Amino acid sequence: MAPIVRCVGLTKNYGRKTALNQIYLNLDRGKIIGLLGPNGSGKTTLIKIMNGLLEPSSGEILINGQRPGVETKSKISYLPERTYLQPGMKVLEVVEYFHDFYPDFQVDRAYDMLARLQIQPYERLKNLSKGTKEKVQLILVMSRDADLYVLDEPIAGVDPASRDYILHTIVGNYNRNATILLSTHLISDVENILDEVVFIRQGNIILQAGAEEIRRNEGKSVDRFFREVFVC
Amino acid sequence: MLGKLMKYEWSGTWKLLLPANLLIVVTSFFACIMVRQTIFDYDDGAVMLTILVTLTYIVSMILVFVGTAIYLIYHFYTTTYGDQGYLLHTLPVDKHQIIIAKALVSAAWILISSFIMYMSVVFLLNFEGNIYEDFMEALDLIIVTRTDSGAVSVFATMMTLIALIVGIFVRVLKAAACISLGQLSSNHKLLVSFAYYFAIYIIQQLVNTCYIMLLGVVGRKRGTWSLDTSWEFALISGLIYVVVFYLLTWHVMDKRLNLD
Repeated sequence: MAPIVRCVGLTKNYGRKTALNQIYLNLDRGKIIGLLGPNGSGKTTLIKIMNGLLEPSSGEILINGQRPGVETKSKISYLPERTYLQPGMKVLEVVEYFHDFYPDFQVDRAYDMLARLQIQPYERLKNLSKGTKEKVQLILVMSRDADLYVLDEPIAGVDPASRDYILHTIVGNYNRNATILLSTHLISDVENILDEVVFIRQGNIILQAGAEEIRRNEGKSVDRFFREVFVC
Repeated sequence: MLGKLMKYEWSGTWKLLLPANLLIVVTSFFACIMVRQTIFDYDDGAVMLTILVTLTYIVSMILVFVGTAIYLIYHFYTTTYGDQGYLLHTLPVDKHQIIIAKALVSAAWILISSFIMYMSVVFLLNFEGNIYEDFMEALDLIIVTRTDSGAVSVFATMMTLIALIVGIFVRVLKAAACISLGQLSSNHKLLVSFAYYFAIYIIQQLVNTCYIMLLGVVGRKRGTWSLDTSWEFALISGLIYVVVFYLLTWHVMDKRLNLD
C-alpha cells in the first residue's frame, strides 16, 4: 500500500537558515508515529508543510499521493501547537463549525468526549483555561474520521494528570486504518503508544525505526535512546 | 462552502460592528431631536446640550467610520495570518472562496455603515418632514448623473453607483493585498504591509494624475478644457485594481503562504 505521507528531497529555508534539509521520508498507514526532536529541529516546519501552511523551498511532499491542497486537507486532521479558535465562540459553536466544514466530523463523538471532560457546550472559549482549550481542540481533531492525524505537541501545555486522558483519547478515538503523526519532546509520556519513531535534528531525518525495534536492538527505552542521541 | 465561510465571517464581525452602527442610529436620533428643539423652541440651556449631543454624533460617526475600517483590517489579519489562520487555511476550501467570502462581508459592512451614516445626515438636515425628497436630493449630489440638457441619465447614474460599489471592493482588496504581501517578509510583517499600502497609494495617485493630464491634453486639442471625472475612469480603473489586488492576495495565500 502506498504511504500516506511521502517526502522527496523536501527542503525549507528561512532566509539563510535551513529548517528542513533534503528530507526523504515515507510514513505508512495504520501506525502511530512519533516525530521526535529537540526544539528548533524542524518538526513544526515539516508539519506545517504537510498541512499547506508553509510552502517548501524545494522538493515535494505528497499526502495520499497528492500535493497539499483542498483534497488533502479533507483527509488530514491537524492539531497545531497553538489555540486557533475564535475566543468569542462558544464550545457548541466550534463543534458546529467543524461539522459544517468537515464531512467526516462526528458530532456525537465530540459531545461524548466533552461530557466526559465536563466541558460545558455553552461555555465561551475565552472563559476556559489554556489546558481546557487545548482539550477542546484535541476533541475536535479526534472527532474526525481522517486518514491522517497530525498532532503538534498535543500534551505540552497540559498537566501530567491530563496527559493520560489525552493520550487515551488519541488512541481510543482514531480510525484504525489511519496514521497518527505525533510531534513531541515529552517522549516518556507517549512512548508506550508509539509504533514507530522518526528522529529529526537540525532539519535532517537521522533515524526512522520501530519503537519495539529500538527497545530490542538498543536494549533501552526510546526515551533513554533519544536522550543519548540528542545529548547536548 | 462559500455560504458557510460567509456565515462564519459574518458571525465573527457582527458582534462589534452591529453595536457600532446602532451607536450612529442612537446618537443621530438624539441629535435630530435636539437640533429641532433648539431651532423651533430656542432656549439658552438647550443650546449647550444640543452642541454636546451634535458633537457626540459627529465624533461617533468619525469613530465608527475609522473604527470599522481598522476593525475589518484587524479581523482579516488575525483570521487569515494570525493564530486563527491555522484553522482557516486547513479547512478543505478553495483560497478563492476564502478571499471572496471575506471581501463580500467586509464590503457589506462598509456599505451598511455608509448607508446608515448617509441616512442619519438626511434625517438631521430634514426640517420640513419630507424625508423622501431630501433623500433623493442628497442622492442627486452623490451619484445622479445628468446630461448637458440637465436630464437624468439613468445609465450613467447606474454606472456611477456601480463605480462607487467597485470602489469599496478596491479599498477592501487593497488592504487584503497589502497585508498578504507583508506576510512575505520574515520580519516586521505589519510594518511591511503599511509600506506596501503607501507604495500602492502613490502608484494610484500617479495613475490618477496621468489620467487627468491626458484628459487635459485631449481637451486642449479639442479646444475644450474639461476635466472629465465621470464614472468611466472610476469604474475601469476600479475594476483593474480589483483584479490586481485580488490576484496578489490569492497568489500569496495559495502559493506563498508563510504562517509563523
